Amino acid sequence: MTQGLGQLKRIVVLMMENRSFDHMLGGLRATDVRVEGLAGDESNLDAKGNPVQVQKVAKFQGQLDKHDPDHHFPGVDLQIFDGNKATGREATMKGFVKSYYTQTNDLKSSHAVMYYFDPKNLPVLIALATEYVLFNGWFSSIPGPTICNRAFAHYGTSFGQISMDMLYVRKSLKDKILTVYERMRNAGHSAKLYYYDQPSSTMEVLNLLQRQPQLFGTFEQFLGDCKTASLPEYSFVEPCYRDHYGDDGGAILASDQHPDHDVREGERFIATVYNAIRTNPDLWNSTALLIVYDEHGGLYDHVVPPLCTPDGYVAAAADTMTGESFAFDRLGIRVPAILISPWVTPGTVVPGPEDKINGRIFEHASIPATVTDHFLLGDAKRTVREQKAQTFLDLLTDRMRDDKDCITFDL
Amino acid sequence: MTNLSRRIQVPKTPGESFDPDRSASDLDRSQALHLREALFKHLQMVAEALAIDPRSLETESEFSDYARRVTAILHPHVVKAATK
Repeated sequence: MTQGLGQLKRIVVLMMENRSFDHMLGGLRATDVRVEGLAGDESNLDAKGNPVQVQKVAKFQGQLDKHDPDHHFPGVDLQIFDGNKATGREATMKGFVKSYYTQTNDLKSSHAVMYYFDPKNLPVLIALATEYVLFNGWFSSIPGPTICNRAFAHYGTSFGQISMDMLYVRKSLKDKILTVYERMRNAGHSAKLYYYDQPSSTMEVLNLLQRQPQLFGTFEQFLGDCKTASLPEYSFVEPCYRDHYGDDGGAILASDQHPDHDVREGERFIATVYNAIRTNPDLWNSTALLIVYDEHGGLYDHVVPPLCTPDGYVAAAADTMTGESFAFDRLGIRVPAILISPWVTPGTVVPGPEDKINGRIFEHASIPATVTDHFLLGDAKRTVREQKAQTFLDLLTDRMRDDKDCITFDL
Repeated sequence: MTNLSRRIQVPKTPGESFDPDRSASDLDRSQALHLREALFKHLQMVAEALAIDPRSLETESEFSDYARRVTAILHPHVVKAATK
């Protein structure tokens, strides 16, 4: 065991919304060839057959405002396979623009899913990606939308769901696979899911439904728990999902970065979570923070999602709406993921599928897998998928960075 | 004492980014339906909230009001959020 792992007392996961790896971090390749980002010549054909190259012109808000790019199962299937339905079809990542055109019916605006951010416009995410550990191969768990992907972060499976239907609770109860929070609590450990506030609420409604309020806190409580170093051993943080007014009438902006919410507010939220841990020495030296996105939100990524261990469930053809069933045997589209700790080697890039020898594949089942392995020594009923998922705490080393070498954000 | 010598400035989000009248997303709609389902566990407490049909809601503001009402019942030990 490394010293960093020996010191570890807490894991915090912040899961953002609906942005692909290339969209947010693809521009990093220009300055660091280890990053499996964009070369600049990647392209899709639009609905008229015109090539559309990736462009470094993504805006914080206002490019994806008329139509939220499709990220439901059939739409993602089109994005990955470009409409090819044949047996043995090859994933090409060439159908993103065509998919968006089915929503926009406008050629020019359909190109927006190929836009990516200039790294200088994302000072928080880029700083964290370059200062700590960036994963080249972290994928959403399902080529589909938010709820089923977030289920993998909580349960290590979505119980066969590939949609926004969260009411898989009956299968959860029948199969006796608990959330990572329940596993921790039942074993005498502490775990909490922090949602932003009541108007934003949590996307993990099932535990609310099962009357387990002790598992939940708000973001204000998260900040307070950071100040007093009373964070539970495992924390999952949800951003604010929608613009709304606070009780005092003040504006609260969505910070989840779901299109078309302002990406800058998400940057500030990430920085706030980071600072809350970073500025308390009682937390900083003993906490690992993972920042990850739930799925790609219909935005372009050039890396073909790899195959994976099935989780034992099958979604019927009627549910996939592609004419074929889905055996949960391949992953969804790649998303940004960054591991933060003073115990990681600065500027680490964990290779992904581009490295046939040393590449590692992570997905959201890696989250409960890591927490369960570390705190419970793997002692919980889990799907085979979660049992086989890569864990990430081996990235903590024997050397702790000097405190003055670690960044802080001015908000 | 934490040494905060390496500091990175983070720009503020412009106030005009705030748009509670923005059309709600699939995520908003799904969450509201799920919250409504959870309410069935609390029928006596929530008859009034159940009278609202989430499918009739259109804006983020309306969904916020709905989520606030439901979450207040499901998770009453809440700390109020900060506003800008």
